Amino acid sequence: MIRSLFVLIVATAAARAVDPAAFTIKTMTAQMKYDTTELLVQPGQPVKILFENGDDLPHNLVFCQPGTDTAAMAMKQMEKPEEALKRNWLPDDPRIWAHSKMLNPHEKEELNFTAPEKAGTYPYVCTFPGHALTMRGEMKVAPAGDILHNLKFALYLGNWKRLPDFSKLKPHREGKVEDNLVQVKLDDYKNEFGVVFTGKLIAPKKGSYRFFLASDDGARILIDGQEIVNDDGIHPASNIREKGLPLEKGEHEFRLEYFQAAGHIELYAAWKGADFQITPLSKWLHPNWKGGAKKKQEFDPIPLIVKDEPVIYRNFIQGAGNRGIGIGYPGGINIAWSAESMNLALVWRGAFIDASRHWNSRGGGHQPPLGYDVIQPTGEVTPAFFVTDKPDAAWPKWEKGIRYEGFAWKGYSLDAKRFPTFRYTWHDAEVEETFTTEGDGNKPDGSPTIIRTVKVTGTMPEHAWFRIGIGSYEAKDGAFVLKGPKPFRIKAAGAQIAGQNLVIPAKAGTMTITYQWAQ
Amino acid sequence: MKRLSLFLALCAPLAAADPVEADYYKTTTFDTPKETALEVGSIDLMPDGKLALGTRRGEIWVVSGAGSSDPSNVSYKLFASGLHEVLGIAYNPKDKNLYATTRYEITRLKDVDGDGRADVFENVNDSWGVSGDYHEYAIGSRFDKAGDLWVTLCLTGSFSSQVPFRGWALRIKPDGTMVPTCSGIRSPGGIGFDADGEVYYCDNQGPWHGACTLQHLVPGTFQGHPGGNVWYDLAPNMGPRPIDPIPEAFQGERGRKDSRPGGDPDRMVMERGRIKQLIPPAVYLVHGKIGNSASAIICDLSDGKFGPFAKQLFIADQSHSNLSRVYLETVNGIKQGVVFPFRSGFASGIIGGRMDEEGRVFVGGSDRGWGARGGKPFCFEKCEWTGKTPFEVHEMHAKPDGFEVTFTQPVDPASASDLKNYSMREFTYAYREQYGGDEIDEIIPKITAVKVAEDGKSARLTISPLTKGHVHELHLDGVKSAEGLPLLHKVGYYTLNEIP
Repeated sequence: MIRSLFVLIVATAAARAVDPAAFTIKTMTAQMKYDTTELLVQPGQPVKILFENGDDLPHNLVFCQPGTDTAAMAMKQMEKPEEALKRNWLPDDPRIWAHSKMLNPHEKEELNFTAPEKAGTYPYVCTFPGHALTMRGEMKVAPAGDILHNLKFALYLGNWKRLPDFSKLKPHREGKVEDNLVQVKLDDYKNEFGVVFTGKLIAPKKGSYRFFLASDDGARILIDGQEIVNDDGIHPASNIREKGLPLEKGEHEFRLEYFQAAGHIELYAAWKGADFQITPLSKWLHPNWKGGAKKKQEFDPIPLIVKDEPVIYRNFIQGAGNRGIGIGYPGGINIAWSAESMNLALVWRGAFIDASRHWNSRGGGHQPPLGYDVIQPTGEVTPAFFVTDKPDAAWPKWEKGIRYEGFAWKGYSLDAKRFPTFRYTWHDAEVEETFTTEGDGNKPDGSPTIIRTVKVTGTMPEHAWFRIGIGSYEAKDGAFVLKGPKPFRIKAAGAQIAGQNLVIPAKAGTMTITYQWAQ
Repeated sequence: MKRLSLFLALCAPLAAADPVEADYYKTTTFDTPKETALEVGSIDLMPDGKLALGTRRGEIWVVSGAGSSDPSNVSYKLFASGLHEVLGIAYNPKDKNLYATTRYEITRLKDVDGDGRADVFENVNDSWGVSGDYHEYAIGSRFDKAGDLWVTLCLTGSFSSQVPFRGWALRIKPDGTMVPTCSGIRSPGGIGFDADGEVYYCDNQGPWHGACTLQHLVPGTFQGHPGGNVWYDLAPNMGPRPIDPIPEAFQGERGRKDSRPGGDPDRMVMERGRIKQLIPPAVYLVHGKIGNSASAIICDLSDGKFGPFAKQLFIADQSHSNLSRVYLETVNGIKQGVVFPFRSGFASGIIGGRMDEEGRVFVGGSDRGWGARGGKPFCFEKCEWTGKTPFEVHEMHAKPDGFEVTFTQPVDPASASDLKNYSMREFTYAYREQYGGDEIDEIIPKITAVKVAEDGKSARLTISPLTKGHVHELHLDGVKSAEGLPLLHKVGYYTLNEIP
């Protein structure tokens, strides 16, 4: 199974001799992200990174000292853009201690350096303008822990569905494990056996420690005779069990019991302390062994690729409520419509969406857009239409479970190019909304634009407003520009700023609103 | 002649082996479109032998040629995509459109330009809530005899209902209006009709359900899980909210020592006396034996083309990747009946299923999220009768003092008249809030007499005692057919809600 995305890569050298740590970091196409967001190395360990830019934009890889606000650092160079351009967008900042070149699309570079001697979390970031908010990761420098001492094994034969009481059984064979790493020899018995490993574990100081175990079939770890982690039964080794416990400084009895019924043989054990990183106690390393962050389930990505016609994805989209309809338009421009608020919920550019969260296992949770420059123009799942005599008033807030009164969702139809037109009613008015796109959302200078056409027939209530934006907008060159790190521009005839609201008086007829990511 | 006898000699050991399910019902696994994972969630029939498949990934595929004896004749056309999980698909012969039950909406799909792809997606009804919880599945029916669609709505998780009508069955009238119809639903797995058009759904083992159940959706009833009853004020047509069942229950013998006049209140049979809207499960789909995750309900309306079980129900199971067979009867106005194992060995967890007029059962599903015995991540399959009649219990009827069992073929009177060849065990499940539960309150009754009918097609068992509310597990291990064959399935589980 390939699990290349967003994983923390553990330097496999851990408790053995310190070999160089080798990593590959790739940029994700049209997502403004690195594929690897966490690296784990030991102090002073030689590090080799192959940095591959598979995206259509330039990117670099810049390592900074712990605590660096990388986004602020990258932003600061915009104060003197000419100088920054000369430096190829590499900030002149003493906190940078290693970096790649600014790679053009589809270039790669190998970086070689020695990891800092000081333990800590060292951020890395792309410093090309506008990338630092999402394109970043961390290199964690932490020493490896000790391994077991005096490790012995006892092999038992038997057919079990759960771990037997080994104390009542006679071992078939016993011996010493030379390299002190828990292991199962695949050239020995293949089915219907059990192994008990016993050895010494030395806690470097009094404190809290965590133990990790994954096995196929069952296993458990006991420390000083007390069961700590249990992974009993017949199953694959896909789930890592873990449990913490306090230990006194010094020697402790380690015992690992394992049994194999039939099929695959796998056995992984590790521990972690306050001062050392997750350190394998087994010869084999679990394929998704990743520090402390194992609870989050990860799946191979299923990016929905937009080709020559829009792709529709109705599911739980983060920021679009529970009745979200994602539309990926050709050309790297995407929206999420809410069939709950009857409003445009999100706009973003680049890649559309990754369906793997919903199309794996039970499919729970809300999935954020896969692309970048995500903007929620008018707040979370809030209608655009609202009756108020004060257009600077607060619009209703979303409460899941309560439907907005006066609205009824009618559905959508697709035109010949399969662009959807959304339909709903609000009180006595029928509303149709269509979105078209211009420009290229995948290019930094593509001026991607969304043109929203709102057709209202029937009667509007008095004092009805249609909100098209919230936030700090300023009127500039016939448009309204959102102040902030990511320039975003809204244009609409008759629009006005009312406090934090950007509104149009709502009447029967047609409104045209353009949303544009400005340069 | 010599050659023939050699041939017979070679065949002899095979012929002596006990018959297996595949001798009578064969399955065909179809290749599915490479560009998708065809996680079938719902199936309906369309004109010209076509099928509509709705999937968990939100696609609707129109399948041609699946009825052909050559599975390579099957072809697929993507009719729609991007829907939020299609766990109900219904073809409406009146307007010739497909209706999809999705997570938060029933959608009418039209193909206006006739290119084989839907281009209009109309909201027929979306009047139930979704909180964003993964568990809030919406399982939709086909059109019932009145032209209504039914949708059963899973609770928010296993216990509670955080937004309107989670834990309810709703009916959507042809004009799109919604009628709250039954409360008390926990986790529906499938919905379907019997031969008379009565509506049933399968619920899953969990709180208030010791096992998966087949439940009769009688309008106005409370189906057993009180989690959704907070919405009665939104359903004035349903009358007053039922009183809540008692959440605590005694399992096993622990409570037996206490004197409990009138019996345990935490048994379905007792709570029925207290909660007037409560309807008991028509059939307990005994946990671990019949299945662990009941789903599609398929009625045999093929008039014999699927073998001897006309008008019976076939219940699919996602976890066990199998079909079980249910015979129902009405006693004192309540549906009850028996479930038998029927056909195992499907390739993945079965979720959707439908039989065509020719008696071909189409099933499909996926193992995603819960795992399934089949082993494949998803499948689309066909199950057909080979034309050979299996020796099976055909029907099982409750009688005031026992049961009558009928057989698909005449029995060997000697074995069928021998009391030693029958055994019975009775048990029930606690009706309680806690998840699942054991088979409890076991009674081993006496089978005092058996009388085989003259035609050898039925046997009348006299049993003492019969226990109202208990599952009556009948084993017929030694009963042989007149031809000397053992029963293909030697056990049935009869849920005795009422003693006639």
